[in-house]
Formats: sequence, structure tokens, C-alpha cells
Amino acid sequence: MIKVLFFGRLGDIAGAEERKVSVPEQVRTVDDLRQLLGEDGEALAKALNEPQVMVAVNQDLVEWDHVFEDEDEVAFLPPVTGG
Amino acid sequence: MDTLIRVQEADFDLQTEYDRLRVDNPGAIVTFTGLVRDFNRDHVAGSASVDTLTLQHYPGMTEKLLAEIVDEARERWSVIGVTVLHRVGTLAPGDQIVLVAVSAAHRQEAFEATSFLMDYLKTRATFWKKVNAGGEESWVDMHQADRAAASRWEASEAGGDDGADI
Repeated sequence: MIKVLFFGRLGDIAGAEERKVSVPEQVRTVDDLRQLLGEDGEALAKALNEPQVMVAVNQDLVEWDHVFEDEDEVAFLPPVTGG
Repeated sequence: MDTLIRVQEADFDLQTEYDRLRVDNPGAIVTFTGLVRDFNRDHVAGSASVDTLTLQHYPGMTEKLLAEIVDEARERWSVIGVTVLHRVGTLAPGDQIVLVAVSAAHRQEAFEATSFLMDYLKTRATFWKKVNAGGEESWVDMHQADRAAASRWEASEAGGDDGADI
């Protein structure tokens, strides 16, 4: 099981800010995970694949080929708008 | 040589934060306060004015990113105290949203570090704004101007001593 977090507009599109996901063995990288989550619907698939979306594993920004572990926290981050 | 970083729902008091930096006897203190604007006033005429702004963040990661941004500012400028306070939750137009305050021996370092901290905070720290206007909610998009403001610091870093334009 991993914990998946969706921030900003991604939370609205995913229908929840947090999901517990059990992933099949062949889903290894955060990009694989993004494609798996995108199977839920076209809107989420499109939003997660926007070029400006970033991904963090256990609160560190990582590249899309990063391999996650069981129990990790994976967060999808749209462009930030603080300040 | 203190750094204070806080993400909080509560409002902050400028005088208190100023006084905290003043005890180190710096030569200069620069404070920047950001307020909630009525975004829609800048854009399409006839669009509803902003009722509230809701700020979401990524607890833990936000504080870590802010600490990295402050470390980077400290590497570039010789500053004494740095305070970064950012509010989250629901705010109204005119409310204080962010404070960056920097003390240093001289004004130049304090001005530049404050400006750098704001530019990097806006483009790197994990905050997201949602506007509620006329009963409709919408997430705010990152402005190209903010991206450009942050990238000028990268250009100056890469520029080295020769001052060449890149």
C-alpha cells in the first residue's frame, strides 16, 4: 500500500486529496503510478500528465523514473501559487 | 543569526517580528508583507470580486522547502536574521498572507535577500491558492511574471564575474 496525495486542482479532479493505493508489481516508477491512476478517468490522466506537474516521494521532489517503495507517500503537485 | 519559518492559520504582527530581528543590532531590516488582493479586479471586467482566498499547503514539505530557500539566500548574501511567515486557511481581501523580513549589516543585502526569498517562495514552496468569488471556486494559476522574476536570480548565478548576458 502506498499513500497518494493530490494537491491543488488535482485533488478536485481526483475526487479526494488522499488515496491509499495498492499497486501491481509491474508498477515501479512514479510515472508508472501516474499512468495507473490515469486509468480512472481521462480528466485525471490529462491533469497528471500536464508538463508542469511535479512529483514528490516522502516529501522530496523526484524525477518521473524514480522507483517508489511500499508504504511510500507519493504526492502530485501542480504549479505552486503561494505568496 | 536566527531563522524563523512558520506556516500558520493565525495572523501575524509586523511590529513583533520587526522587534525580534532588531535585538541583534543589525544595520538594516527589510520587511515585505503580502496582502490578499482582489485578483479578479485585475482581469476581466464584470467578473465577480473575490470573497475569500483559501490557501492549501503540503505540511512538512512546505517548511522543508522554505528552509532550503532560506539556506540558499544565506549562501548568496551576508544576512543576520531571516523570518518567513506564511498563512494558510481561508483569508479575505486585505488580509496579511505572507511576511518576509531580513536583517543585515547593510541595506543592499537585506533588500536583495528579501526579494530573492519572495521570488523563490512564490515559485517553489508548496502552497496553492483557491479563489471563491460570487459563489464559484477556482484554483489560481501560476503567473508567468512570477516565473520570470525567479529566473533572473538563476541567470545572475550562472553569469559569473564577466557580467555576460545569457
